[in-house]
Amino acid sequence: MGYHWNWSVFLQPTAAGDGSYLGWLLTGLQWTVSLSLAAWLIALASGTLVGVLRTVPNRWLAGLATAWVELFRNIPLLVQLFIWYFVLPELLPQRLGDAYKQSDPLVQQFLAAMVCLGLFTSARVAEQVRAGIGSLPPGQKNAGLALGLTLPQTYRHVMLPMAFRLILPPLTSEFLNIFKNSAVATTIGLIELSRQAQQLVDYTAQPYEAFIAVTLLYVLINLTVMILMRRLEHRVRVPGFVGGGQ
Amino acid sequence: MIEIKKVGKHYGHFQVLSDCTTAVAQGEVVVVCGPSGSGKSTLIKCVNGLEPFQSGDIVVDGTSLAAPGIDLPRLRARVGMVFQHFELFPHMSIMENLSIAQRKVLGRSADEARERGLKLLDRVGLRTQAEKYPGQLSGGQQQRVAIARALAMDPICMLFDEPTSALDPEMINEVLDVMVELARDGMTMMCVTHEMGFARRVAHRVIFMDQGRIVEDAAKEDFFGTPRSERAQLFLSKILRH
Repeated sequence: MGYHWNWSVFLQPTAAGDGSYLGWLLTGLQWTVSLSLAAWLIALASGTLVGVLRTVPNRWLAGLATAWVELFRNIPLLVQLFIWYFVLPELLPQRLGDAYKQSDPLVQQFLAAMVCLGLFTSARVAEQVRAGIGSLPPGQKNAGLALGLTLPQTYRHVMLPMAFRLILPPLTSEFLNIFKNSAVATTIGLIELSRQAQQLVDYTAQPYEAFIAVTLLYVLINLTVMILMRRLEHRVRVPGFVGGGQ
Repeated sequence: MIEIKKVGKHYGHFQVLSDCTTAVAQGEVVVVCGPSGSGKSTLIKCVNGLEPFQSGDIVVDGTSLAAPGIDLPRLRARVGMVFQHFELFPHMSIMENLSIAQRKVLGRSADEARERGLKLLDRVGLRTQAEKYPGQLSGGQQQRVAIARALAMDPICMLFDEPTSALDPEMINEVLDVMVELARDGMTMMCVTHEMGFARRVAHRVIFMDQGRIVEDAAKEDFFGTPRSERAQLFLSKILRH
């Protein structure tokens, strides 16, 4: 194979004259991380709410929550992204839509990708939260209510703290997924990590170096997430609780 | 204190409770017994609204549970309940278990709640365990904490739903001792239990249930002396044989 390895390509000034190619990758890393973290906050907040609603006695609220989960879970992520980016701005009221379309393209791309990834992941978080609540002993809810706590207080102080401890491992996978899924934003032009790798290939014709570097950066992100989540699990473990360690 | 009037409950076509009528006066200790599936746990859970019922009414200290718009949390805060499986909150220390509802429901300060909690832990002999977690205590200790947790709300009466049936035999007495003491202090109690020794020692009345009905509702002496119904005689002969 006549491939010419050249690792020093990262230190070369870019053809566009805006710093080095390594700088491009680091910019991409920043966008990937900020997009994923913002989307994760949306996913965690709305996913928790929807997951809780799926378990409440009110049939209408539970039905609404089920519809939410099925909607965001059953449409391919890429299709959802195109809907958020290309279709929904057209459905906004004229003035709002115009203002949106005249804003910085980077802002448009970021917002669409953030909402899309956040809501897509919220359906998955909701399912985990529901499963966590469902695996608690049924008497826990009664014990909270019997003390005079309201149903929301019982969820807040009794059921959710234990449910979240039980679902921390699967939530870690969802958190990892959101970083990987954020690569779809490349299709609407957001200059996140995989987009920058593709650009680097276009400009330098060094695909191996570019994709090896990007792979390592994704691995770095996910290792960091795993270590942080492991620490969190350790911190919130319940003394004497079976499965929680001693 | 507790009036149960013609209460009926069904799941679909299955009648869980039919026409249950009884009352518990202030300071009275009533033991509810009967074969499993007789509806005794369901009945006691109707008293604080954990189980809904379709007909009849239950009035607790003047508050009707069948009344529309009843403030259930407020009623439940005044009625203590102890469960078969303790149901302590595993992620909270013993002290947090005792103070959470005092603070969130009664609006007591953390210090007040702690003081009250320690007093009750003293009473059930577990003051030294205040900072431990439920998973670090034995079943008997957990159930004593659960009793203390209910008492911390200064309830007007206490409901016990088979409080000793999930315990190892050697731990039953430590829980019963706490309950006996509570009864002697004049607490109004309604206890679903098979502990006939406990019933003999402190109960004023015994209610015997079968197939969702109150079959026998008699003073303790009468119940153990000459139970009127055949079902109650059969039941007693089975559980008192040893």
